[in-house]
Amino acid sequence: MNMMILIGLMLSLSLAWVVWFLKNPLADNDIDLRQSNIGLGKQRKAELQRDLEQDLIDQEQFDLALEEISSTLAIELNQSTTTVRESKPISALTWLIVIMLPIFSIGVYQSLSTYSSTVNTTTALESAPLSLEQSAEKIKQHLVDNPSDAQAWKMLGLSYFELNKIDESLQAYEKAYQLNPKDARLLVEYASTMISANDDQFTGRPVELIKQALEIEPNAPDALYLAGLFAVSMQDFNLAKGLWNKALAGLPEGSVDRQALLSILAELEREQNPKISHTVTVNVAIADEILAKRSNEDFLMVYVKSAVGRPMPIAIEKIKIKDFSGQVSLSDMNSVMPTKLLSEHDQVLVVARLSRTGGAMKQADDLQVVSDIVSVPSNPTVNLTLD
Amino acid sequence: MIIEIGHFALVLALAFACLQVILPTVGLLKGSFSLAQLSRPMLWAQFFWTVVAFAILMNAFVVDDFSVKYVANNSNTELPTMFKMSAVWGAHEGSLLLWALILSGWSVAVSILSRRIPSEVLNHILIILGLISVGFLLFLLLTSNPFERLDVIPAQGRELNPLLQDFGLIIHPPMLYMGYVGLAIPFAFVLSSLIRGQLDSTWLRWSRPWTLVAWSFLTFGIVLGSWWAYYELGWGGWWFWDPVENASFMPWLVATALVHSLSVSEKRGAFKHWTVLLAIAGFSLSLLGTFLVRSGILTSVHSFAADPERGLFILIFLILVIGSSLVLYAWRASLMKSQNAFAWWSKESGLLINNILLVAAMLSVFLGTLYPLLLDSLGLGKISVGAPYFDAVFVPIMIPAVLVMVIAPFLRWKKDTLIRSSSVLKPVWFVIAILFAVSFWLVDNQAVLFAVFLFIWITLHSLSLLINRLRQKGNMSLSFIGMIMAHIGIAVFLLGATVTTQLGVEKDIKMEIDQPIDIKGYTFKFKGVNSFTHQNYQGHKGEVEVYFENELITSLKPEKRQYVTGMPMTEAAIDPSLTRDIYVALGESLEGDAWSLRIYYKPLIRWIWLGGLFISIGALLAAFDRRYRPSSQRAAVNRERVKS
Repeated sequence: MNMMILIGLMLSLSLAWVVWFLKNPLADNDIDLRQSNIGLGKQRKAELQRDLEQDLIDQEQFDLALEEISSTLAIELNQSTTTVRESKPISALTWLIVIMLPIFSIGVYQSLSTYSSTVNTTTALESAPLSLEQSAEKIKQHLVDNPSDAQAWKMLGLSYFELNKIDESLQAYEKAYQLNPKDARLLVEYASTMISANDDQFTGRPVELIKQALEIEPNAPDALYLAGLFAVSMQDFNLAKGLWNKALAGLPEGSVDRQALLSILAELEREQNPKISHTVTVNVAIADEILAKRSNEDFLMVYVKSAVGRPMPIAIEKIKIKDFSGQVSLSDMNSVMPTKLLSEHDQVLVVARLSRTGGAMKQADDLQVVSDIVSVPSNPTVNLTLD
Repeated sequence: MIIEIGHFALVLALAFACLQVILPTVGLLKGSFSLAQLSRPMLWAQFFWTVVAFAILMNAFVVDDFSVKYVANNSNTELPTMFKMSAVWGAHEGSLLLWALILSGWSVAVSILSRRIPSEVLNHILIILGLISVGFLLFLLLTSNPFERLDVIPAQGRELNPLLQDFGLIIHPPMLYMGYVGLAIPFAFVLSSLIRGQLDSTWLRWSRPWTLVAWSFLTFGIVLGSWWAYYELGWGGWWFWDPVENASFMPWLVATALVHSLSVSEKRGAFKHWTVLLAIAGFSLSLLGTFLVRSGILTSVHSFAADPERGLFILIFLILVIGSSLVLYAWRASLMKSQNAFAWWSKESGLLINNILLVAAMLSVFLGTLYPLLLDSLGLGKISVGAPYFDAVFVPIMIPAVLVMVIAPFLRWKKDTLIRSSSVLKPVWFVIAILFAVSFWLVDNQAVLFAVFLFIWITLHSLSLLINRLRQKGNMSLSFIGMIMAHIGIAVFLLGATVTTQLGVEKDIKMEIDQPIDIKGYTFKFKGVNSFTHQNYQGHKGEVEVYFENELITSLKPEKRQYVTGMPMTEAAIDPSLTRDIYVALGESLEGDAWSLRIYYKPLIRWIWLGGLFISIGALLAAFDRRYRPSSQRAAVNRERVKS
């Protein structure tokens, strides 16, 4: 069914609804505000009587409350006014609403809808959702009458690509490129398809297309991503990192693309810097007089923090005094954040804290000792004494 | 084309919301009752078109219509149908559409079920609700259109955030929104009364059941959110003082104060100032919550939509709502003067103290949530306010509130004496003292001991009240049972929260195959990890056998999933019970067959949600009390007639 007909039906239904209720207004529910308040006052009195019978209040309170209910009711009755509540058909506004409702609805819809522009370029897609084959077929039909619609050629290229018809996809993209070589998004898609067709090899024209795309939109994340892949193929990992970090700036927080790119960057980092795991061994001696004053349920927190910068723990071990053997080993396993491993740090401080609560913030009665700066790569052993 | 019909349906919903405001307003101003009576039909039409729009959007998700930007961004063909449907409210635009739908749904419920409210009062209320609908529908259409089309249709959609692919998401947001939006009803009742200049018994009586239902949903929504965060986020925590959690907690605290304040206003005509302000504050905080979550000014797991333009819209809306409400309040302040005085030792005083403490607690959360944002926005630096602040500020305020909470129901209205009330309470306190002394020998953790004391304190007071009422063969109304249930719910929650925080054990450990690890009397044996593939993710499934006294009690299978879009997720395996949960999450693969695992022992953690459930059910029971039924008022009038 044509969309205009449907919209017409919706408007007719809406107008019929309004007109019906203008001609047949809802009747009053026959509840007067004064009567309502009087009824509630009586209900309160009944509740009060029940409270008295159940000995929840004494006679004096009952009398006082009864007086209050009466005076409240008197005030309420004094405030309320009686209004005429007769329902009769309204004809004065009917024509105004019949004219204004369609004008308002269609006007707002026209100003907000992006549908018309889509129709111009892709009438074929009116009855979405379509299968990819149907979609490609309809775009082709559209292009018979509109051979210079670059946007439609681009969509056809994408549809063929998704259908794994790479040759047809390349032809469609080429047509789109001839018509609009300044569309950065098209250039990236075209280049990406070429690379796929070429067994993921970055040679020749795709590289040129990526360069063109970046000239048009220097911060386009997809172009930067492809450029990064090209850099990797050239073994220039630092360039790749630079390009991908730049791409990250254009991707919204929490987006799936951003997450994927972060994973790739982390992988690249691991490839470039194979992880060497280090351990910091900490011997903690606690004076007997302190132990005597403390509960066995108190916590010993041993952690490592950076010697400079934020005082956030890098790696931590929290144990109850009763479970403590005298030595704690901190390694990447104890790292607070998986992205900031202990082994990735060089100069650190080691802290041992005796805490009643085991909370992150230092409390007034916590005992703490901090080591001198130690170097993580040397797998140091640190001796600390709490006295 | 069907999408455009959905979009147009939303525009028609806006048109009818405007008519819902304009026609009755003109009617009231011109004295045309017939015109004023159009508020209900216009509302029903608004609701109808919002339902149509919502159904069309849901259909777009089910049939994978990726020509719709919102669908393409939040769903893909691999997503199970159940999650495709719930993905409708998985991100910003759909959430807002759900907001608008629930608001119109609540309004329809008020229009149909408020049979004892005079038509002219109801018309005023529906005008206010219509105004709020106009605001939200405009917000949807101007800044967050869920029906926006894509020029280029992707063959495959993106993915609904894996965190949200869970049963918890299907029900948590709708329940929370039912609570948030439900607070619009007492707000509309109050504003209509202020506009009419009649702060009478009618609005007080009939707004309370709606407030109780909204409060019940809000409680249930928060409980569901906490439960969902516990098992889905893989941290094993149940509350993080996350700003978005706080955004739902602040209206809850105010709504708690409001249901109590309404009870006093309704029965004794006192606290009208309080009630009006709390109703305004409750809905304003709901809007603030929406502003905080949807503006993107927060950095938290909930900030799925970061768009300052949207934030600005809600901020302006918020300022308009609060500003106009307070102006009305100031204008009508003289009408709220109460002649009904009460003594310092009375039920009214007890409830007032509780109300003040609840509002103070809300302000402490408000400060801890907004102060860092304020500093940041003024360029005065970044500070982080977390659990230590809330533990130090919020908890001490709530302790006296909890202590007073169960004393107030024993006191008499208006005026009581210490001698009378203490003589009633003495036996209870005696039993409490004995039980506490026993606990003193059994529990050596001070915080737990205090929680046990509070648990005994609340439970025994509540049970004593119940026994007294039974003994007097008194009125066992649903309101009374609801109150007892909600108060015991607080006790259950408090004990669960304290015990799990204080006595829980959390271990992050490396486990070799068949290597036994002992935690709190349980032995855990890691049996290895297998790969598996599911409809829209693949991953690793570990197996951990749990033994108690050398007997296998369960085999837990935590998962580490990789969704089709590459997003990793940890799916914890939990052995739940009323006394403790055993929680195992799979970490990273280490050398050989070893893996890092997170093993938590969480005593009484289920009590946290059980307590919340008690409160929610208690509120619902109170809402369905006999005196809120139309027949009750008729019965009272008849009784009066018979007597006279």
